[in-house]
Amino acid sequence: MLRKKEQTEQTAQQQRVALRRRAFMLVLGIFLCFVLLAANLFHVQVMQQDFWQQKAVAQQLSDVEISANRGQIYDANMAVLAQTREVCTIVMSPKNILQEKTRVKIADELSEMLEVDRDALYKQTQKSTSQYEVVKSKVDKAVGDKFISWANENGLAGVFRVVTDYKREYPLGSMLSTVMGFVGSDNVAREGLELKYNETLSGIPGRMVIAQNTSGDKLPTSLDYEYTVNAVDGNSLVLTVDQYIQQVTEKYLAEAIAEFKATNRGCAIVMDVDTGAILAMATKGDYDPNNYLEISDPTAAEKIAQLSGDERSEAIRQARLRQYRNKALDFYEPGSVFKTVTASIGLEEGLVSESSEFFCNGTYHIADRDMDCWYAGHGQQNFRQAIANSCNPAFMTLGGLIRAPLFCKYYIGFGFTTRTGVDLLGEQIPSSALYYTADTMTPVNVAASSIGQTFKVTPLQMATALCAIANGGKLMQPYIVQKVLDSEGNVISNTEPIVRRQVISAQTSQRVCDMLEEAVSGGAIGNAYISGYRVGGKTGTSEKTETKSEEDKDKNVEVIASFGGFAPADHPEVVVFVMVDEPQTLKSGAGVAAPVARNILRDILPYLGVEPNYTEEELANLDHSVPQVTGKQLSVAATALGSASLSYETVGKGDKVVRQVPESGVSIPKDGVVWLYTDDSELKTTTVPDFSGKTLSQVNQAAKRAGLNVVVSGINTSGGVAKVTKQSVAAGESVPKGSVVTVQFTYENNI
Amino acid sequence: MAKAKSNAATAPNNALRPKRILGLFTRAAGFDMTFFVLLMLILVIGLVSLFSASYAYAYYQNGGDSYYYIEKQLIYAVLGVIAMLLISLVDYHVLHKAALPVMGVSWVLLIIVFFMPAVQNMHRWIPLPGFNMQPSEIAKFAIILLFAHLISLFQDEMKRFTKGYVPFMLVLLGTCALVFLEPHLSGTILIMMIGLVMMFVGGTKARWLLLTVGIGALGVFLMVFVMGYEQDRIAVWLDPLAVYTSDTLYEGGLTGRDIAWQTVQSLYAIGSGGFMGEGLGNSRQKHLFLPEPQNDFIFAIVCEELGFIGAVVIIVLFALLVWRGFIIGMKASDKFGSMLAIGLTSQIGLQVIFNLAVVTNSMPNTGISLPFFSYGGSSLVMLLAQMGVVLSVSRQAKLRTDRE
Repeated sequence: MLRKKEQTEQTAQQQRVALRRRAFMLVLGIFLCFVLLAANLFHVQVMQQDFWQQKAVAQQLSDVEISANRGQIYDANMAVLAQTREVCTIVMSPKNILQEKTRVKIADELSEMLEVDRDALYKQTQKSTSQYEVVKSKVDKAVGDKFISWANENGLAGVFRVVTDYKREYPLGSMLSTVMGFVGSDNVAREGLELKYNETLSGIPGRMVIAQNTSGDKLPTSLDYEYTVNAVDGNSLVLTVDQYIQQVTEKYLAEAIAEFKATNRGCAIVMDVDTGAILAMATKGDYDPNNYLEISDPTAAEKIAQLSGDERSEAIRQARLRQYRNKALDFYEPGSVFKTVTASIGLEEGLVSESSEFFCNGTYHIADRDMDCWYAGHGQQNFRQAIANSCNPAFMTLGGLIRAPLFCKYYIGFGFTTRTGVDLLGEQIPSSALYYTADTMTPVNVAASSIGQTFKVTPLQMATALCAIANGGKLMQPYIVQKVLDSEGNVISNTEPIVRRQVISAQTSQRVCDMLEEAVSGGAIGNAYISGYRVGGKTGTSEKTETKSEEDKDKNVEVIASFGGFAPADHPEVVVFVMVDEPQTLKSGAGVAAPVARNILRDILPYLGVEPNYTEEELANLDHSVPQVTGKQLSVAATALGSASLSYETVGKGDKVVRQVPESGVSIPKDGVVWLYTDDSELKTTTVPDFSGKTLSQVNQAAKRAGLNVVVSGINTSGGVAKVTKQSVAAGESVPKGSVVTVQFTYENNI
Repeated sequence: MAKAKSNAATAPNNALRPKRILGLFTRAAGFDMTFFVLLMLILVIGLVSLFSASYAYAYYQNGGDSYYYIEKQLIYAVLGVIAMLLISLVDYHVLHKAALPVMGVSWVLLIIVFFMPAVQNMHRWIPLPGFNMQPSEIAKFAIILLFAHLISLFQDEMKRFTKGYVPFMLVLLGTCALVFLEPHLSGTILIMMIGLVMMFVGGTKARWLLLTVGIGALGVFLMVFVMGYEQDRIAVWLDPLAVYTSDTLYEGGLTGRDIAWQTVQSLYAIGSGGFMGEGLGNSRQKHLFLPEPQNDFIFAIVCEELGFIGAVVIIVLFALLVWRGFIIGMKASDKFGSMLAIGLTSQIGLQVIFNLAVVTNSMPNTGISLPFFSYGGSSLVMLLAQMGVVLSVSRQAKLRTDRE
C-alpha cells in the first residue's frame, strides 16, 4: 500500500516534470513567435516606414496649394503691362460616375458648355478608376460659375471639382514681349522679366492640407484635420519703360523691317542718357505673350507647315526660341557706329582734334593689306568732316595713333568686355573670343576695330556706351525696373541710377556730341534730322561675313543697318539706338536705321517735354497755318493771307470769298498758294505729278507748275543730296488746286 | 479539495463585510495579483485602443455617435470583470462535471448554427436577444475544458495511442469539421492548434503530434497549391500591393483593389506609425480607409497611433500574461488545474500570434480577433470569464510556497 502510494507519487512527480518541460517548450515557442512578429513589425513599421507612409498620405490628404497672387508689371506711368486674372480648372472624378447615361449626359452637355471635344470627354468619363481627370483648364470665371450651377442642378457636384487657377494676361499684346517674357499656362514663368523677377512677382504660395476619408470628403468637423498656411501675394514691378515711347519705337522699327524686308529681325533701344533707365526696348519679329506658342513669323510658320515629325518639332522649338529672344542682348558687329567710341578715345587722349587733317584716297594700307573705304576717296578732310563722312581710312589712321593698349583700355572702360549689369534676363558675359586683348591685338586688328569691325558687342552695350559719350562721360548701369511695390502698393525698393565709372571727360563728351550733331545737321546723316531739334548720331552698316555660305557671299552680302544717336545734342536727354538685321531692299544704316531713330525722336522729344528750338533758317522755312478767310471780303482775306506770308489766287467774279483751298488750319510752306473762290464755280483741279527721285528744287518747280502746296519732311536746309522716296498723294491723281501733298525725302549716301 | 471548500464556505458568512470581500482578492487568499494586474492593464489599453479605433468609424456609421462601440464594450468589460472575479471564487473542480455536457452543448450549437440565417454566406452566429452567440467560441472553451478533464483522467496513460491520441483527435477533428463547414477557417485553425497544444503539454507522444502536424501541413499544402484553394488570399499575402494595383478581376467580380484592400490599408496604417506613432487618436487610416478598424485589424490602428514602441509594449504585456498563466499552470495543485490554466493561456497567446501575423501580413488574412482589444461583447465576457477560471486555479496553486 505504502509502496504503491510511493510509486504513484513518483510517477506523479515524473509527470509533473514532464508537464513542466513541455509547458516550458510551449511558452518558449509562443515567445519565439512574439519575437518574430515584433521583428516583422519593425521591418514594416520602422524600416519600410517611408514606403508605406507615402502611399498612405497620398490617399489620406488632399493637399491644396493656395496660389499667391502674382504681382503686376506696370510701365512708368502705371499702365498695366502684365496682370493675373482668376480662372478655374474643372476636374472630374470618373470613379464617382455610376451610370452610363450620366456619362453620355456629361459628354453631351459639358462638351458644348466648355467647348471641348465630345468624344475625348466621353473617353475620360470611362476611366472608372480615376479620380482626377482635367476636363478643361483656364476656364473663364463666368463659365466656371455657370458650370457649377449646372453640376448642382444635375446632382453631379460629387463628380466634379472646380479648382481656382490663374491666368497671366498681357493687355498690350506683343508690346515689350521680348523684354517681359511670359508665364506659361502651367503658371511657370518662362522668359524675360517674368522669369528674372519670378521670386519677386510670384510671392509665396500657401497650402492647405485637409485630411480626407475614403470618399475624398473632408472629414466631419469633429474629426477635422486642417492645416493652412496663408499665401503671401507677389510684388509688382514698375518699369522705366514708358508705354508711349515703347509704342512709338516698336511702330517705326516694325515699319522699317517691313519696308526694307529685313529677314533677321531688328531692335531699338531708347535710354535716358543720365540715368541709364531704359525708356523703350523693342525687338521686332517678336510674339504675343498671350499666345506664346504661336509662331508669329509668317515665313517661319509657312516653312514649319511643310515639315513633319522630329524636324517639325525642332523647327518649332527653334522658331519659338528665336521669337522669345531679346535681340538687344545678342552680339553683333557694331560697324561705323563704333567710330563714336574711337573718336572719343582720340579726343580724350589728345591724339586728334576737330581740325586734325586726314587724307583718304579710298584705301588704307597697313602691314600686308589694303583696307577699303566705303567711298571712292574722301580726299583731304579734317577730323570733323571725317566723322561726317564716316571715313574708314581716317579712323584707321586714328587707330594707328591710339594703338592696342589704349584701345583695349577704353574698350574695357566703355564696358564692352563685361555685362552692362542690366536687370534683364539673358544678358551674357561677352566671351573673350568676341574681342581682342592688348597682348593679342595686332595693328591690323586695331585698324579694323577702329571702324567697328572684327569684334562683337550687344546693342545694349553700344547704347550704354553712347549714353556715356553723350552724358559727360559717365558709364551708367542700365536698368528697367524702377520700383518694386508690395501687394498693397507700398514702395519696397526704388532703383537709383548707378554710375559705373567716368570713361571720358565731360569736355571730350561735349566735343564728340558737337561733331556728331554736325554730321546730322550737316547732311551727312540727314535722315536723322528733325527740324527744331539738335540730333547727334552716327550710322553703321556692318557686313555680316559669317552668316552666308562661300558662294552666296559674293552675290549678296547681308548687312546690319544701325544708327546710334541722341538728342538734343547740346544737352542730350535720350539715346536712341536702332539696328535692323539683314535688310534686303536697302543695305545702309543711314537709309534704314537713321529714319527710324529720327521718327522716334520726332515723336518722343515733345512728349518728354523737350521744347523745339528752331534756327532762324528753320523758322523761316516753317510751315504756315492757313487762316480762315471764307465768308470774308476779298480785300480782308488778302490782307490776312499776306500777314501769314501766304499768297493766293482768285477764281470767280464775286467780292466775297465763298470757298478756300486748302481749308483753314492746314499747314503749308511759306509763300504757299491759297485758292479763293468768290462764286460757286467748279473747283479747279490738277493732276499730282510723280515726285519720286526728285530733289527739293525739282519738287518745288513741279509743285508750282501743278498749283499744289508741298510739305517737305526728312530734309534739312544745309544741303546734301536728298531725294523723294514717298509722297502722300499718289502720282496721277486728280485733286483741287491748292491741295497739300506731303513728300518724304531720304538722303542717299551709304554710310 | 478540502482547503478550497473552506475558502468558499466562509465567504457567504462574511458577505456583507466589504473588508472581507476585498480580502478574497488578495495574495493571502491565493488570488494571483500579478496575473490580475497584467490582465487589467491589457484590458484598459485594449479599451482605450478600441475607443480611438472605433471613434471615426462609429461617427460615420452611426449618425455621428462616436461613442457607439466604446459604450457597449465598456458595459461588457465591467460585466466580464465581475464574472471573472466571481468565477475566480468558485473551485474549478466543479468543471470536471461540466466538461462532457459543455462539449455536448457546444456540438449541438455547432449544428444549430447551420439552420441560422447566413451572414455573408457564413453560418457563424446564433442571434439571441441582446447579442449574437458564436458557437465556435464556446467550442473553443469546450475543447479546453474537455481536454483538461480527459488529460487529468488519463494522466498515467497519455503515452498510449488509444488513450492519449485517438479520443482527443476524434473530438478535435469532429469539432473542427463542424467549425470549418460554417465556414470559419480561423476558428478551425485556432481550435485545432489549442487542442494539439494541450495534447502536447498533457503528455501525448510527441511523434504522433509531429506526424499529425506533418499530415495537416501536407493537406494544407495540397489544398492551396494543388487544388488552388484560397488562391486569392495567398496572392494577397505574397504581394499585397501587386494585387491591389492589378486590373485582374477576382472571384465574385471583385477587383484586386477590393480583395487586397484590408491588408494594404493595414500596412499603410502600420507604416504610417513609424517608431513613435502619430499619437493617440491621430490615426488617419481609421477614417474609413481601414474597414471596421474596431474589429480584427484594431492592432494596425494601435500601431499607427502608438508606433512600434507602443506595439512592443503591448506584445510584452501579452508575453508576461502568457508567462504568468503558464506559471500558474505549472504550479497548479493538480493536472486538471494545470491543463485548464495552460490551455486557456495558450488560447490567448495563440490568438495574439494569429492576429498580429494577419495584421502585419506575416500570414494570409483570416479573420481572428485580438483578445481584450477587438470589439465584441460576448467574446470579451467569455474571455474574462475564462481568465476567472485561471485565477481560480491560481488560488490552489503552490505559487507562494514556491517562491519562499
